[in-house]
Amino acid sequence: MSAGGVIPISWLQLALAAGFMLVTGALSVALSLGLVKDLTVATIRTYLQLTALGLVLRWVFSASLWWIVLGLLGLMTLTATRLVLKRAPDAPSGLSLGVFLSLFVTGVVVTFTVTGVIVRVPVWYEPRYVVPIAGMVLGNSMTGIALTLERLFSDLDLRTDGILAMSALGATPWEAARPSVRTALRAGLIPTINSMAAVGIVFIPGMMTGQILAGADPVDATKYQIVVMLMVSAATAIGSIMAVMLSYRHRFTDEGVFLERGLRDTDVSGA
Amino acid sequence: MTQLLLSARDIYATRLVEGGRVDVLAGVSLDVAHGEVVELSGPSGAGKTTLFLALARLLPGVTGSLSLDGEPAEAIAPQVWRSRVALLPQRATLVAGTVRENILLPYTLKARADCTPPGDAAQRAALDAVGLDAVALDRDASRLSVGQAARVALLRVVLTSPQQLLLDEPDASLDDVSAEQVAAMTARFAADGGAVLRVSHVRANDKADACYRLAAGHLERVSL
Repeated sequence: MSAGGVIPISWLQLALAAGFMLVTGALSVALSLGLVKDLTVATIRTYLQLTALGLVLRWVFSASLWWIVLGLLGLMTLTATRLVLKRAPDAPSGLSLGVFLSLFVTGVVVTFTVTGVIVRVPVWYEPRYVVPIAGMVLGNSMTGIALTLERLFSDLDLRTDGILAMSALGATPWEAARPSVRTALRAGLIPTINSMAAVGIVFIPGMMTGQILAGADPVDATKYQIVVMLMVSAATAIGSIMAVMLSYRHRFTDEGVFLERGLRDTDVSGA
Repeated sequence: MTQLLLSARDIYATRLVEGGRVDVLAGVSLDVAHGEVVELSGPSGAGKTTLFLALARLLPGVTGSLSLDGEPAEAIAPQVWRSRVALLPQRATLVAGTVRENILLPYTLKARADCTPPGDAAQRAALDAVGLDAVALDRDASRLSVGQAARVALLRVVLTSPQQLLLDEPDASLDDVSAEQVAAMTARFAADGGAVLRVSHVRANDKADACYRLAAGHLERVSL
């Protein structure tokens, strides 16, 4: 093995990896788990999506144009927005803009802080740095936001009586929603905090693994990984806080009345 | 002639009941004067709670007009209205913390930023007056019985000195002695110039100045 690079995997060797899925599929049949179809589709999607990603990235890296990089970031943000909204089916309508903004601001600020201020990439839009870092920032921010929003709206519903009591005492929507906001943000941020605590002891993170396989010095890889962990935590926190602040009000009318389940299907805007 | 405090005209409210819209309030009008205790009765499901929510401006989609002390509702911000027309919901909900923290909760809200919270002595006296003399201000609110929690929730509202109290079955979980004490407290509140509108399922209230009955979306005055 050469010190400076990965051992390439041939297409035939790649096909061999499907053997893992054959074993899993066989187990599914033996235990009647009914997962064969899902496994097959998921395996095919993994091959196709990642191969496509590889080809797109190769093209983006070789073209190295700022507008392609920014366009790609926009597309990633839109896709992440759609996925967040899909994962919170109970959430009120009208959240798209807030979720998009939270992801966009987090994506842009955190990504370019890392590439520009910490790593100091010579060309600001250097796709080899910007694209994978934005991917990690957006991916984690997306997971955090989805978890936080899901928790926010389920906790608000759980506290229907408490919110009524608070509103009756003259609380604003923010004052009435605040305990749920806190619960939701804690729920959204705890997985990140836990993984920061376990990293390096329980698991070697994916990015560091990748750099080590590619021949990087483990200590250099570690430095990158620390930056990545902190950036991912910040992205999750900032994205979740922004998304919650831009979303909770949608569950209240203009007059500050909480729309409990029994009130949601009536036409209540501006009542 | 006593002076009018809360006035409601032609209140209409629909609610979703099993997928269909039902006119729970179909043109309800009501006047409550300073110093009055008004009793509201009606069969279960007649819309008494809906009327209270509408009067507290806590129900979307309500039409009709409301005024307080001659001032139309539109001229009063919803949060300010609710701190003056104070609803005590049927289910008492206390927040995590001590009894004191619960009683002081309203003073943590923006709507009462300029108000002085009652001191320990005033809180103590109010608790004693409704038969909660055994409950310390430092007691964890989650350790109160249902009846005790209901009275703390009532005090939390009364101590903020609203003008109009809307009490939705304040004595539902109380024994006769405690219910008497609560009735005496609301009577004192009215005697001090406030007004009380209350629903009591459980026992007839002989301290009421007027009595209304809500049925089939309409409100009728009942002779005492």
